Amino acid sequence: MKKTLNRTFLIIGVLLLAAPLFMGPYAQSVARSVLMYLMLAISWNMLVSSGQLSFGIAGFFGLGGYASTLAIVYLGMPPILSLVFAFILVGAAAWLLGLVALRLRGMYFAISTLALAEIFRVIIHNWHGFTGGPNGKLLPKLIFDGASVPTYLLMAVLAAGTIAFSMWFRRSKFHFAVTSIRDNEIAAMSTGINIYKTLLMVFAVTSAVQGLVGASFANMYGFVTPESSFNMNYTLLPLAMTLLGGLYTTWGPVLGAVLLGIVGEYLKLYIPYGHLIVYGIIIVLVILFMPNGIVGLSGKLLNGFEARKKGEVQL
Amino acid sequence: MSILQTKKLTIKFGGLTAVNEVDFSLESGHIVGIIGPNGAGKTTFINLIAGLHTPTSGSVFLDGEDITAMKPHKRARIGIGRTFQLIHPLENLSLVENVMNGFLFAQDFSVPKARKAAVLLCEELGLSRLERPTSQMNILEIKKMELAKALAVNPKILFLDEMMAGLNSDESLEMISLVQKVTRSKNLAVGVVEHVMGVIKQLTHSVVVLDGGEVIAQGKYEDVVKNERVQSAYLGGGA
Amino acid sequence: MRQNKAVIGSAVGFIGVMIIILLIAKPSALIFGIQRAGLYAAIALPMALVLGIVHIVNLAHGEMMMIAAYLTYSICVAFGLDPLVAMVPTAVIMFFVGMLLFRFTIRYALKAPELNQLILTFGLAMVLSQGINLLATSQPRKLSVDYVTSSATIGNVSFGTYDFIFLAVAVIFLTGLMLFLKKTRLGKAAMAVGQNPVGAQFVGINVISTYTIIFAIASAMLGIMGAFFITKMSIFPTVGGAYTMKSFCLVAMAGIGNLPMVLLSSLVLGISESAVQSIPGGTGWSPLVFFGLIIAVILFRSYAKTAGVK
Repeated sequence: MKKTLNRTFLIIGVLLLAAPLFMGPYAQSVARSVLMYLMLAISWNMLVSSGQLSFGIAGFFGLGGYASTLAIVYLGMPPILSLVFAFILVGAAAWLLGLVALRLRGMYFAISTLALAEIFRVIIHNWHGFTGGPNGKLLPKLIFDGASVPTYLLMAVLAAGTIAFSMWFRRSKFHFAVTSIRDNEIAAMSTGINIYKTLLMVFAVTSAVQGLVGASFANMYGFVTPESSFNMNYTLLPLAMTLLGGLYTTWGPVLGAVLLGIVGEYLKLYIPYGHLIVYGIIIVLVILFMPNGIVGLSGKLLNGFEARKKGEVQL
Repeated sequence: MSILQTKKLTIKFGGLTAVNEVDFSLESGHIVGIIGPNGAGKTTFINLIAGLHTPTSGSVFLDGEDITAMKPHKRARIGIGRTFQLIHPLENLSLVENVMNGFLFAQDFSVPKARKAAVLLCEELGLSRLERPTSQMNILEIKKMELAKALAVNPKILFLDEMMAGLNSDESLEMISLVQKVTRSKNLAVGVVEHVMGVIKQLTHSVVVLDGGEVIAQGKYEDVVKNERVQSAYLGGGA
Repeated sequence: MRQNKAVIGSAVGFIGVMIIILLIAKPSALIFGIQRAGLYAAIALPMALVLGIVHIVNLAHGEMMMIAAYLTYSICVAFGLDPLVAMVPTAVIMFFVGMLLFRFTIRYALKAPELNQLILTFGLAMVLSQGINLLATSQPRKLSVDYVTSSATIGNVSFGTYDFIFLAVAVIFLTGLMLFLKKTRLGKAAMAVGQNPVGAQFVGINVISTYTIIFAIASAMLGIMGAFFITKMSIFPTVGGAYTMKSFCLVAMAGIGNLPMVLLSSLVLGISESAVQSIPGGTGWSPLVFFGLIIAVILFRSYAKTAGVK
């Protein structure tokens, strides 16, 4: 069952990924932003699979944007290399923060990460000389000089890589480790799982992905500012997308990001102020009425259908 | 030569001494019953050996090596397996995946290899329909799965905390012979916490009686139950 | 217990040292810090009630105060009332808002994992702040009230006197809550529900309505604070977020369930922030103080804990 679902999504995914190439710059820019949120959602979903709820996406996203921008401005790094640099730097920063934060659990961990974006913002806001303070920094030029097709291709490659990584993750030992940690930490450690180390690795890598997305974003739009780069939206949207699509799966966040990403484009046009309320409402409704999201719901329906075919009774 | 030893193992929670200067040892191929009234410190004692608590004083040795300060997950890796009084199925993993954990993390198998090993182990213990979620298993199956999870770490010593609780007498008998079988075939040193005296009598080679965190008697079951202190502390309380 | 004494001791010691330093170096910063502490404590106490007594994590805490401030603002603008008069209808409305929020949303996440409660109330926070953004745009709003500018001078230090009202509110909130929890039937029921919801049910307490009323009371308190907030501060849709985090930090520092300590932890935060602000160039960095404090306290607590049990 899982396999057919995976394969269907894979084919649809490749087609969808290729489609914007033939649809002109506007479609490509919408698709780029969908892919960006998709990567944020997938990475967040990997950490939450271990039961650790992070509200820190915006923080690592913004940090990645600044890492890449400052590396280009001060070190003259080529844009692509600056993306790698942001990935590594944010991963390292998350590792260090995780050393402290991952001693915490539940609401303590969640709220510490909620504060992260604010902390990074305050530091960057105040470090005038280096970061440009409240005015931010401009990049000398956009990645690929702003050409739409190669930029889109880059994002498509990064997104495909993130999806592949998540698929691997969900078959690897990490899947067993994080699921066990989410279910019961004491039972997990008694089977030999090093909880602290597992969480640190997952936190560092998923944050690095978020940093990479932030770096690509900065390179596509050519600037970073404390207010825009650490905006809470980058936490809110991936959360809503993952929840709507379905937690703890690879395809849930993909589905959620595609649906909400496209809907979001229209909302932005018609409701300039406060269209983000939709994402808040989705979070609330999904948690209350559909905690397994669309993928969970469709999985249940398919299972029920199969069970009926076999004449089994579904509880 | 005993494989596991504790020396004056003690833990205090605030003013309460839950385990007090316990000297204990286990030998391969032997099953030792750990008995005592409620609150005697049996589960706390197992938690100390598994590394979930840090002792206030005293030490734990495995194969002569001091493991008092070792983290719980490391202890699983060097061969301490256990089951829990309150059963802990990992409900988001299937039956076989629950059992795979020990192979994956304590024995560092690859995922396919761990799956094969887990399937074999489950079959050995009489578990079937291995892809089921744990919510669809009955109590005997859950208990067997918990045993399989503990065996999957390739333990030298195994602690079973209230394995028979919730089982009817036929099921208990099945578990008893299962435990005896794996003890022999894998040459395990086994510690069993159990309330049902019939089980202790059938299953164990010797018993240790805890009361108020202290060892008040040890030896053969038949001898220990005649001990006056034991009768007043434990058997006298109930009967 | 011993750990609590250590925390209280170090908090008192810390406050003492800071007070002496500031008294000598910059008395106005000390006064400002104490006033700040009052504001923080008054906003954190409703959270201490909800989180500490009945164990509901509400990430929409600051946003609810923000809603209350907007409510007061609209009432004042519409009817030409003084905010301190508009406080009464605001508190009443917030009581029912809290009741509805609990009845229709949070209630359903009570038995679910803590994760769901956190995500749900995060979603609520976003709905509230974006809802205001939608209705009132992100333009900051402020009421000008003349009595808030009153000031006094001691020696050569002059300072605003109105801000002490926050400290007074905090003390009244605290006393009221302590009396409520110790003396009233409902308060005792709330303590019982918080300690053991299932057991409370068996002794005949209506658990859900106890939760509902406690949440509604906390919301009404936020209503009162919202009204005080707008007398002095300008408001915008995202103004509440920082107060959610700070309130949580203060409640965690105080120790979940320990209401009087919230006042003490607020003093630590308020005075430290104002000390940082009084350092030249330090103003921008003061938002980081709370984070440093919470990390210090949590690490201290977790180490004190691992000394006994893992």
